[in-house]
Amino acid sequence: MKSNFRQGANAVIITFFAIIGSTVLLPMVIFNPSPSGHGNQYEKNKLAQTDPARGRQIYVREGCFYCHTQFTRLQDRGYGPLVQAGDYVDETPHVLGTARTGPDLTNEGGRFPSEWQKAHLINPRALKPGSIMPSFSYLSDRDMNDLVAYIQTLGNRRKVTELVEAPDEYTNKSTYGKELLARKHVDTKADASANAGRGIYTQNCAACHGLQGYGNGPNALSLEKKPANFTRPFYKQYSDEFWFYRVTEGVVGTRMPRFGEVLTEEQRWYLVAYLKTLPKEKEEVIDNVDQLNPVQQIKLPKLSHQQWEPASGGE
Amino acid sequence: MFIDRLISDKEGSASRNFMLSALFWSVIGMGSGLFAGLEFSMPDLVHNVPQLSMPHLRMMHVNVVAIGWLSMGYIGAMFYMIPSLTKSPLWSERLGNTAMWGWNLLMVGAFCTLLNGYTEGREYAELGAVLDVIAVVLLVLVGLNVWQTVVNRKVRKLYVSLWYFLGALFWFPLVYVIGQRTFVQLPGLNDAIVGWFYGHNILGMWFTTVGVGMMYYLLPRLANSPLYSHGLSLIGFWGIALFYAPTGTHHILQSPVPEWLKAIAIISSIFLLVPVFTVLTNFFMTMKGKWQLVVTDLPLRFAVTSAIFYYITCIQGPFQATRWINWYIHFTQWVVGHAHLALLGTFSFILTAALYYGLPRLTGRKWYSHGLIRAHYWLKTLGFTIMMLSLTTAGLVQAAGWAMGIPVDQWGLQIRPYWAIRAFSGIMILLGQVLFAYNAYRSFYTPVAEKESKLAQEVKA
Repeated sequence: MKSNFRQGANAVIITFFAIIGSTVLLPMVIFNPSPSGHGNQYEKNKLAQTDPARGRQIYVREGCFYCHTQFTRLQDRGYGPLVQAGDYVDETPHVLGTARTGPDLTNEGGRFPSEWQKAHLINPRALKPGSIMPSFSYLSDRDMNDLVAYIQTLGNRRKVTELVEAPDEYTNKSTYGKELLARKHVDTKADASANAGRGIYTQNCAACHGLQGYGNGPNALSLEKKPANFTRPFYKQYSDEFWFYRVTEGVVGTRMPRFGEVLTEEQRWYLVAYLKTLPKEKEEVIDNVDQLNPVQQIKLPKLSHQQWEPASGGE
Repeated sequence: MFIDRLISDKEGSASRNFMLSALFWSVIGMGSGLFAGLEFSMPDLVHNVPQLSMPHLRMMHVNVVAIGWLSMGYIGAMFYMIPSLTKSPLWSERLGNTAMWGWNLLMVGAFCTLLNGYTEGREYAELGAVLDVIAVVLLVLVGLNVWQTVVNRKVRKLYVSLWYFLGALFWFPLVYVIGQRTFVQLPGLNDAIVGWFYGHNILGMWFTTVGVGMMYYLLPRLANSPLYSHGLSLIGFWGIALFYAPTGTHHILQSPVPEWLKAIAIISSIFLLVPVFTVLTNFFMTMKGKWQLVVTDLPLRFAVTSAIFYYITCIQGPFQATRWINWYIHFTQWVVGHAHLALLGTFSFILTAALYYGLPRLTGRKWYSHGLIRAHYWLKTLGFTIMMLSLTTAGLVQAAGWAMGIPVDQWGLQIRPYWAIRAFSGIMILLGQVLFAYNAYRSFYTPVAEKESKLAQEVKA
């Protein structure tokens, strides 16, 4: 009986230490990511007399990490570049966070001016109506400045190569995207493709976005969220994939529909080709056919039957 | 003697004092949780008071409820159950009472530091260095006391509850020492790995093990039927010992920690279904043919509710640890609902059952009012169900928002009603707990005329 008890006790002890060894000690030994160079760097600003390292302590002290996370995930859109293991080497205690009651702050630095950040800490609802962030007006001026300095350093060294990036499902980064791009046979740079897209644009988009993409179609009058003005420089940096993603999935929170359910893939690529030819802001629109670029080459697209058959009543 | 009053060596005094202190801290812990919950609905409720700002109240809530209410109650319940299972008195009542005072001191320290923002900044391990040392010393003292009691036992066979209690008292101090990271500075992601080892194992190696042990003690006694299977209970014990400890990393599945660690965490999370189902089979088969008892037996009603909530928690846990579910619901209030389901729904309920069962036997007085116990039960059960549903729904709204890439300020407005409901349910839960505390106060601190109390009991019977 007694030996049974001893065996049991020994087994408990050995099991526990084996598990601790494998899940706590082993990662300590073999998981040592080298600094990526993109992590946050907390340098004192002599001019502004702020100390982001101290600001980080205040971030921890005030418990900001209970509602704000500091790691971007693959599926997060609009929170900037993804984090790497090497970004966190100097981050102790970690502020990865567990719940996102507020936005992710991984790349928050520079998103808003420092004055905005400070005012937002003092009275969040003045700047973001409906926000439930507590007011941190009780922080001293020095604490507040350091905290703002810390927020402004977040993600500053994480370089952004492309300003607007399509989700992975639409780029070469995923299998799905690779298949999509392999199926694509429309040359989005060709004038002929743009010409093919013109009709699709007129039928589907012009009612809101206007004939020349100024966002001034007749429907724009009645929409609460105004349709995008494609002539703005912002839209000129869109990649083909990003245009395709926007057309396919629509814009959440606006009346922009998911055209992926209406148009075929081929039609959407033609549309993308046309969207890229829309004029730039303050640019004269050429109505005169003679001034258009002469057609260099005509690459005839492979036409599918589906596109030209009536949607119903044909059979 | 003053010292005798302070550190009594009367049999059962340590257990009773631990239980009553736990009850006191539960009101404070749940109150701070409710206050933090109200601030979600009314963010400008208090202004310019750092002690009452939401994050400080949240730290306070988590620590006081986990270390104060649940842990103190657990130790009180162990000090009551272990002597009863070993048929020998507690090794040293004085040591137990010293630990009780020490623990109250620890909680006062936590109250003063956390509300003022003196925190180590590690979730679930916020207590400062001094308090950490005190906590470990106290845990070792409690462990020593329990160990000596078991060594000097008069019953040779160790009942399964004792397995759980001894295991917990061996594991928890170690988990605490490793997990607090008080005196070490680990690089960020390693810090997170150890942090979640702690964050999950304070649950797995302490709240679950002691809670299940208490359930094994209470259910057969209250239902007056033998335990269904001793073999199953041992499978459950070894299953928890094997599969609980490595699961911590499932809290940071989408962060850049090593993939193999995530895989271990997910696999062992799913394997946890094995001990959970053996344990619950054992409970429900023990209850077989005795279900009608919950109508009249209030501690049993709490215990059975706890077992049912345990069932839901443990289905949810492995489900949301898998990658494709975690992908969707991580970072949302769903997880908060799950945490409350485990700590409030399951372990708080079983501890309440132990208190309702143990306190009259320790003090030799009856409960002042059974109506108050019923009110407590319904307020807590209904309140908690409402809280769980509102948090889960809010979590799904949030999850949809994150998945669709909708900015926070848009879906943030959509979940405000759920936060209001959550605050309302918090009021119900706190009210239930206050009734509990009031009932205990009337029962054990108010002298009742002999005749009157007899009459009252007759009426109730």
